[in-house]
Amino acid sequence: MTDIADNNKPASQPIETEKNDAETIPVAKQTAQTLTKRILELLFLLMFISTLLFFLLRLTGDPAAVLAGETGDQEQLELIRKQYGLDKPLIVQYGVFLYKLVQLDFGSSLANAQDALGLVFERLPTSFTLVIIAFTANLIISIPLGAWLGSRPDRTGRKLAATAVFVAQGIPGYITGLLLIQLFSVELGWLPSIGNQGILSWIMPATTLAAFQAPQVVRVISANVAEAMREDYIRTARANGAGFNTLLWRHALKNAMLGATALIGAQVSFLVGGSIITEVIFAWPGLGRLLVTSVQTLDFPVVQAAVFMIAIFVYFAITLTDIVFLFIDPRLRRQRA
Amino acid sequence: MSVVTEGTADAARTAASGETILSVNDLVVEFPRPGQPTDFRAVNGVSFDLRQGETLGLVGESGSGKSMTALSLLGIVPAPGKIIEGSINLRDRRIDNLPVNELRKVRGNDIGMVFQDPMTGLNPVRSIGSQLTESVLRHQDVSKQEAIELAFHALDDVGIPSARERLEGFPHELSGGLRQRVMIALALINHPEVIIADEATTALDATIQAQILDLLRERLSSATMILITHDMGVAAEICDRIMVMYAGRIVETGTIEEVLTSPRHPYTVGLLSAVPKFDIRRPKLVPIPGIPPTAEDIVRGCPFAPRCRFAETDCDQRPPLEYAEDRLVACWHPRLASERKK
Ligand SMILES: Nc1ncnc2c1ncn2[C@@H]1O[C@H](COP(=O)(O)OP(=O)(O)OP(=O)(O)O)[C@@H](O)[C@H]1O
Ligand SMILES: [Mg+2]
Repeated sequence: MTDIADNNKPASQPIETEKNDAETIPVAKQTAQTLTKRILELLFLLMFISTLLFFLLRLTGDPAAVLAGETGDQEQLELIRKQYGLDKPLIVQYGVFLYKLVQLDFGSSLANAQDALGLVFERLPTSFTLVIIAFTANLIISIPLGAWLGSRPDRTGRKLAATAVFVAQGIPGYITGLLLIQLFSVELGWLPSIGNQGILSWIMPATTLAAFQAPQVVRVISANVAEAMREDYIRTARANGAGFNTLLWRHALKNAMLGATALIGAQVSFLVGGSIITEVIFAWPGLGRLLVTSVQTLDFPVVQAAVFMIAIFVYFAITLTDIVFLFIDPRLRRQRA
Repeated sequence: MSVVTEGTADAARTAASGETILSVNDLVVEFPRPGQPTDFRAVNGVSFDLRQGETLGLVGESGSGKSMTALSLLGIVPAPGKIIEGSINLRDRRIDNLPVNELRKVRGNDIGMVFQDPMTGLNPVRSIGSQLTESVLRHQDVSKQEAIELAFHALDDVGIPSARERLEGFPHELSGGLRQRVMIALALINHPEVIIADEATTALDATIQAQILDLLRERLSSATMILITHDMGVAAEICDRIMVMYAGRIVETGTIEEVLTSPRHPYTVGLLSAVPKFDIRRPKLVPIPGIPPTAEDIVRGCPFAPRCRFAETDCDQRPPLEYAEDRLVACWHPRLASERKK
């Protein structure tokens, strides 16, 4: 502060300019960049996973033996090996595998001779039904609940609820699933416990998945909201007359969601690839259960196709998370110089 | 002017031009201290009047209760603190006991506030325009489009370049000085009758600080304003009257010339000791030996006595804010002009 007393000229033009010279890159362009990068990464990842699986599956068991069954004799085995190209050197098999892979030809199921990728595609709608319902239920419950818990964490009611959420977070998914089956199928007989038989049968598996994931989201959001409510910008908004609801929903929650987006993204990835236990418990004819069965039977074309598909969806979920971030956090929209 | 007046609230109303807009009487803000016999009074019996067109400076060491006094006026003392005594009147209307819905209409509309830290004071994930229009739409009966126009003019008026484009922009795209201009625009956008600036320039570097002060002076020369500052130079520049706070109390108040040229309270003397001839080139307050009473100390008598060179035995009684010669001072042994000549 030099000589403000002598500074009698009228308020000068601001000398300050913008902090960075870098232009803000349009969201669309950054989205495109993110996508390109992710697609390249995905191609490498798929290549890597497929290779890994190819060798792992051949190390853990002899598919020919599985195909021949318990009664199969040596002659039969030779025949099968020849038929499936299993008699060739491993490296040749691998070459053939790769050649077919780029054409998305995973071969046919060893169990029923159906096209492996076709089997996987058949399961997708069933799996996605579950994923979408569970995901939606999760967010519909956990965002408002988390915001409510975090808005006044010192209140007694909220403390109790927060404790309940904490306990719920510790309950493994399969326990929830088994309890639900016991109550609603065995005791009350209200809901079917196995398979995909329409809306009623969706309730328990979706609840199981959501009940497993929601507490994590609730806790992250409530912690973030509680933190955001102490920020200076909340005080600014309050000083301008903002009411509790505006402060919570329009100011704090949006900031809190930044921290929760990564978790929610990871949960979606988990759902598409990892709802295996839930699918098994409820005999849900989805991708997860297909994967389990085909691993058990060493049906490696199906395993390959299923893992391939799951990898794509997990990557899709991650990429989507990145793009969502671009939309909700304006600070990411600027290119780092 | 009378020599000694009973009742601090009345006494604080020194004769001056302009009608009283804001009147604070015996304000007490308390923070509970669990497990302690007494609660902590961040503001302890503050009374003052703010008249139309006047810029009132509020100075004092860190923790003296300046911000809490300001936040009380808007009813936004952070929990668990609260106003437990006193009254605040805006013109003829008592505002400290309004229901929250009514109080919200006062905030930003009748009283606007600029805070210290522009880097954290704006919501990072909301556009500048949306933060401005949110406040406009709350307080004024205008359409969305009109609100956007008002927001544009508000930014333009505080000297933000290419204000139109800025509406779509976000706080992180602006420098600290520009962000503080946005904060000022936000505080002014509904034309409040009273502006409070709580260390509005402290967080900025010197050049920018001077620019923001210029802006405040230019835009608010006729406004009614409370300016909280650590900086006597800043106070000297823009204030008409000054109040010195210590440990939640007002210890001295007078016109800026009076206080700067002949401080009465030993604490004010201490504050100004390194700037004896009102040298505004020494911007920061000079430290006074010792520390103010903390929340743990239960203060009887004069809170400044332990640090005071002039303290005597009678300082264990609390001094009221009374006229000593022509100045309101809360001290048993004020530095009187008549004595000093001796
Ligand atoms: N949340 C809180 N809990 C307990 N005490 C608090 C709380 N917030 C503030 N205080 C106390 O209130 C007193 C007054 O604080 P205030 O912020 O008004 O001081 P200030 O004069 O504005 O200081 P500064 O110049 O540092 O801004 C301080 O002693 C502080 O310790
Ligand atoms: Mg302060």
